[in-house]
Amino acid sequence: MPVQVVPFTDERLPNGLRLVISEDHLVPVVAVNVWYDVGSKHEQPGRTGFAHLFEHVMFQGSRHVAKAEHIALVQAAGGTFNGTTWLDRTNYFETMPSHQLELALWLEADRLATLLDALSQENLDNQRAVVKNEKRVNYDNQPYGTWQEKLWGHLYPPDHPYHHPTIGSMEDLDAASLEDVGAFFRTWYAPNNAVLSIVGDVDPARARAWVEQYFGPIPANPAIPPFAVDPLPMTLGGERRETVEDRVPLTRIYAAYRAPAIRDERLYALEIAAQVLAGGKGSRLHRRLVREGRIAQDVAIFLLPLASGPSVFIGWATVRPDATREAVEAAFLEEIARLAAEDVTEDELLRAKALIETDELGSLQRVSERADRLSMYATLLDEPDEINRQLDRYLAVTAADVRAACAALLVEHNRVVLTYVPASGAATEGAEDAADEENDGPGGPLEDGMTEAQA
Amino acid sequence: MSALDPLEAALGTRPVPGTPRPFTFPAVEQGRLPGGLPVRFIHLPGRPLVTASLTLPMGAVDEPAAVGGVAVLAARSLTEGTRRRDALALVEAAERLGASLRAEAGWDATVVGVEVPAERLAPALELLAEVVREPAFPPREVERLRDQRLNDLLQAKADPARRAEEAYLATIYDPASPYARPAGGLHDTVAGIDAGVVGTAYESWAGFERAALVIGGDLAGIDLWAILERLLGDLAPAPEAAARPAPTDAGRLDRPVVRVVHRPGSVQSELRVGHRGLPRRTPDFHAVAVMSAILGGLFNSRLNMKLREEKGYTYGAGAGFDLRRHAGPFTARAAVNTDATAPALADLVAELRRMRDAAPSDAELRAARDYLVGVFPLRFETPGPVVAAVTGIVTYELPDDELERYRPAIEAVTADDVLAAARAHLDLERLGIVLVGDADAVAADVEALGLGDLEVVREEEGAGLGD
Repeated sequence: MPVQVVPFTDERLPNGLRLVISEDHLVPVVAVNVWYDVGSKHEQPGRTGFAHLFEHVMFQGSRHVAKAEHIALVQAAGGTFNGTTWLDRTNYFETMPSHQLELALWLEADRLATLLDALSQENLDNQRAVVKNEKRVNYDNQPYGTWQEKLWGHLYPPDHPYHHPTIGSMEDLDAASLEDVGAFFRTWYAPNNAVLSIVGDVDPARARAWVEQYFGPIPANPAIPPFAVDPLPMTLGGERRETVEDRVPLTRIYAAYRAPAIRDERLYALEIAAQVLAGGKGSRLHRRLVREGRIAQDVAIFLLPLASGPSVFIGWATVRPDATREAVEAAFLEEIARLAAEDVTEDELLRAKALIETDELGSLQRVSERADRLSMYATLLDEPDEINRQLDRYLAVTAADVRAACAALLVEHNRVVLTYVPASGAATEGAEDAADEENDGPGGPLEDGMTEAQA
Repeated sequence: MSALDPLEAALGTRPVPGTPRPFTFPAVEQGRLPGGLPVRFIHLPGRPLVTASLTLPMGAVDEPAAVGGVAVLAARSLTEGTRRRDALALVEAAERLGASLRAEAGWDATVVGVEVPAERLAPALELLAEVVREPAFPPREVERLRDQRLNDLLQAKADPARRAEEAYLATIYDPASPYARPAGGLHDTVAGIDAGVVGTAYESWAGFERAALVIGGDLAGIDLWAILERLLGDLAPAPEAAARPAPTDAGRLDRPVVRVVHRPGSVQSELRVGHRGLPRRTPDFHAVAVMSAILGGLFNSRLNMKLREEKGYTYGAGAGFDLRRHAGPFTARAAVNTDATAPALADLVAELRRMRDAAPSDAELRAARDYLVGVFPLRFETPGPVVAAVTGIVTYELPDDELERYRPAIEAVTADDVLAAARAHLDLERLGIVLVGDADAVAADVEALGLGDLEVVREEEGAGLGD
């Protein structure tokens, strides 16, 4: 069952906008997706959370679009939309009935061309209040809600751009000014810092003409600042431990490791390792801690690939009330360490790959996902065709590759162990495992993902 | 902005939509296996990831109150082992196919489903048939799942949103109604469940009365009839009883009440406001859909525009009807910062009232109708949602053309229909208002709003809300 090849064209407008178009006429639906090469890693000291706050401002109108009108037009056209901000980038996207493609392109172009014409203190203050409530609902008022901030703080030194989480701090959000918005927009929101992907029921010639018409006149920024970070050692150089008292009924142990940045083939081996460890009910951690040992309520392992420094390999286990923290931690860390000591079995490898293959097949069915991946690979790897190479990279991983990657990285001196225990006394300001996404927004749009802050 | 401004020249004129390419809901092939099990196939060319769902229209609403949560546990236990193989052998067999095999019960139905690449559909269906026909319900696994549910209920007490939902249901529904508790049950109803209870519950559904199998995806070249005849062909569903016993879905309130669940130091208040709502089979379904979209469904709904985009009180406010076989809840919800609690609640209730006071504007009506009609093809891009929609027709015993009728019926909704739906189905006289937040910081201001009798619930986070 081959995953279908995604055909596409890849070109640049004279102003530097990278345009990727992929046709698929199965359903009369088209996805528009813009990645800007700016994320929370570009934020200045004292301005954490700004990239995400800015993303909210992008929905507040532009010269030809009133406040709230962008979303009104998209929804009245039968479209869905969102924007998200993450350490490495910011993206904006719409999925539309295909005859409404031109509207989505016009809306994206108008805010890129003329956002500042509509900017007001009132709108900034309103969205600042919204974002602070986003932080409260997804982090501050949630059990375990500080885990990202804590882990990032241990994995990266204070002067590193990944040290702070995308959602930022309340103090810094308060400090953001209209001048900051203007400067940020003029610096980063330029066609030569963006990739526009259009996927679905599209006539490429007409789409190209619309893109040229609407985006063509937007001037490039010839002075986009280069982004460089001093490389960090591949490993932490020593184990770090922290225990947090929180308003949680069950103890939860997080373990996090530095992993290679994107482009490193070992990430595919680590993805297989994550699958073998906790990728389903047949996985090692689920079997040992949840099913057989009955000491954990749940387990999870996942990999967050990053572009400008070490990626993160993260896991957690939640301790059942009738079990001890020590027993869970010992078994949890032992299973991770075992991957470095012995090969995964051929059957485990086969099952992990079969599940990854199905997962790819499922994700790539949707035009929105294909558009986002094309933008991602163009932005981060300068190679949109990676969309067609990923599965082969997973399938090429051997048991020896998994063991080698785990032996190099999933080791004690590269580990952060963060443990949340029930607070003994008075109420503390809680916090969350935002992975249990609680969507309290209307109909889904504009929510905050696990680690990426969304519109 | 002179006419010579190139940006103005390029962007000054709004585009007009092109001609819509027609979209029709995919054709559904219907039939019965030799023993009588109804099947529905939807061939979706170019969609090699196939979804198959066997629905047993028995859910949490059908279970005895004393063992509330047994349907959810029974469904999860289905994949914990069969008479032929234990849980791990079963999950490993599915994983080797790259298949996800799942069984979940909701309020109205239990769905056993598998998602698998088309070329491995046959062996995946074999697993599906095996768990449905030969479940073993191993006591040790059932008890583990029960304990996990009990621990999950502990976790819910620390999550303000889940705590608010639980308190809200207990506030608005008659204690005798299953809808007064979460579908997964509460501590006292779950604690006594074991493999015997689960087995008995499953036996009562496994006559396969009203069951149906729905399969969608690229089915070209697959002889589904032959495969299914082999696996499920002898399955003879019991004759349908005239009517299932209907549990009560009565509301509890005869006047508005306000319950503040104290969560010391909470930086937000989780608000839930509403009452007993409507069943899925409701004659003005389409008017209710448009009304809900205007009130709290669209991003630019009245609630979200007021509480988020105007006031900045919340990250998102919404409202809607949870339409079930019987009258599920109508709920308006938002999480607001603590010092905005009383004004946010006042605005929220005012928007519910305004919905009943006057018909929506033409612009509001058009925006809601256009969204619901326009987004229809987007909803059915892939097999999973197509199969789920067809399964819903079975579960709610809706006419076969329900999905074809949807868009014209939405188009036909008028402003007066919306007003009539609001007046018929939004009940300001029986509002349950529940908030989970810092009572010491918010209760006095909330009481001063005069929305109803106010009760403050102070309890350990580990304890259950008395109901």
